[in-house]
Amino acid sequence: MIFRAVEDTDLIRQATRGSVESFNLLVSRWEKRVYNYLLRITANREDALDLTQDVFLKAYQNLRKLDDPTRFAPWLYRIAHNEAYSMFRRRKPETGAEEVEPEATEGYVTVGGSQVFPVELSLAVAKALDRLSPDQREAVVLKIYQGFKFEEMAEILACPVSTIKSRLYTALELLKVELAPVTPRGVS
Amino acid sequence: MSCSPFELKDYFLKELPAAQEREVEAHIKGCPLCREELDRLQLTGAALFSLREEEIPQRIAFVSDKVFEPSPWRRWWSALWGSSARLGFASAAMLSVALLVSAVMRPAPVGRVVTDPPKAAPSVQPVSNAEIQTRIDAAIAKAVTEMESRQARQTAQLVSDLEDARRKLLVAAAEYDLSEKRVATLRASNYELPPLHGGGNK
Repeated sequence: MIFRAVEDTDLIRQATRGSVESFNLLVSRWEKRVYNYLLRITANREDALDLTQDVFLKAYQNLRKLDDPTRFAPWLYRIAHNEAYSMFRRRKPETGAEEVEPEATEGYVTVGGSQVFPVELSLAVAKALDRLSPDQREAVVLKIYQGFKFEEMAEILACPVSTIKSRLYTALELLKVELAPVTPRGVS
Repeated sequence: MSCSPFELKDYFLKELPAAQEREVEAHIKGCPLCREELDRLQLTGAALFSLREEEIPQRIAFVSDKVFEPSPWRRWWSALWGSSARLGFASAAMLSVALLVSAVMRPAPVGRVVTDPPKAAPSVQPVSNAEIQTRIDAAIAKAVTEMESRQARQTAQLVSDLEDARRKLLVAAAEYDLSEKRVATLRASNYELPPLHGGGNK
């Protein structure tokens, strides 16, 4: 992990000096993660792909503004977050991102206390995530799926760590009820 | 609610320092409630991880394509060839340049045809002013001759066209005379001419 971080830092420095190949390598390392982050918060593959392209274009154009190459990941996700919310505002200026409909609307599958197939579990998880507010869902995506620290999330979302924690704790409580409900005796 | 010395969610999310982690681990060994709470969090986490990452449908193209390299010359060139209007302008400009070059280069071959010695002289011969004047005179004479002959051809064509027009006019005049004579003859014989274009009788 440390080795990888150092490599990214070198690539960023080289890309800042004009090496397109270095930036290409950075993109190949990060495009899948950025795409999946955007997919989780937009719930639309086409939008996620378009936004991913926009994110890397903006990153390329503004790479020289990145003062600390070790902060590349939060910086890149900050761009991704801004791009996604700009899209939400363009599409629904009166309501923002609050009412963006998810792409998948399959039926709800109860998982508590009973065994389910992986596909059913995925559907249940997707449904549980859909029930969160956009802010809570984004916090879960950044923490659980993308592995960012609280401070990095605060940087990406431009809000205090306390707000991040609050969103995450609430989201975990809601998800826990859906995905790991209390059993009559003991824990499943 | 848990009675853990530190937030169980922070432990679950791996946000606690190592020392605090150890304290939480020691606590949950003796606390069934916190153990159950942590189990539920871990079960939730495991369920969340069942949602797999998707492969990106297509690689990001603009950075792997050389055309996006920040070269102004390349961007200008791409833009030029990507626009039909600009391409047309470029073609016209190239044609103009070609005509200009041709016009500038043309006198030299004319002079050489007139005055050059036959074939390959190994070294460059100095050319005197008189010879240059001769070449110029010859080129002018040739140009004048060509122009005169072209003008003669045009004049002949013009004369021919005029002659043709004159013949047509003569034919038209003869037809008009014939028509007048026919009208006079009919009037002399008191023949009633048909009305012309709805007008009165004549």
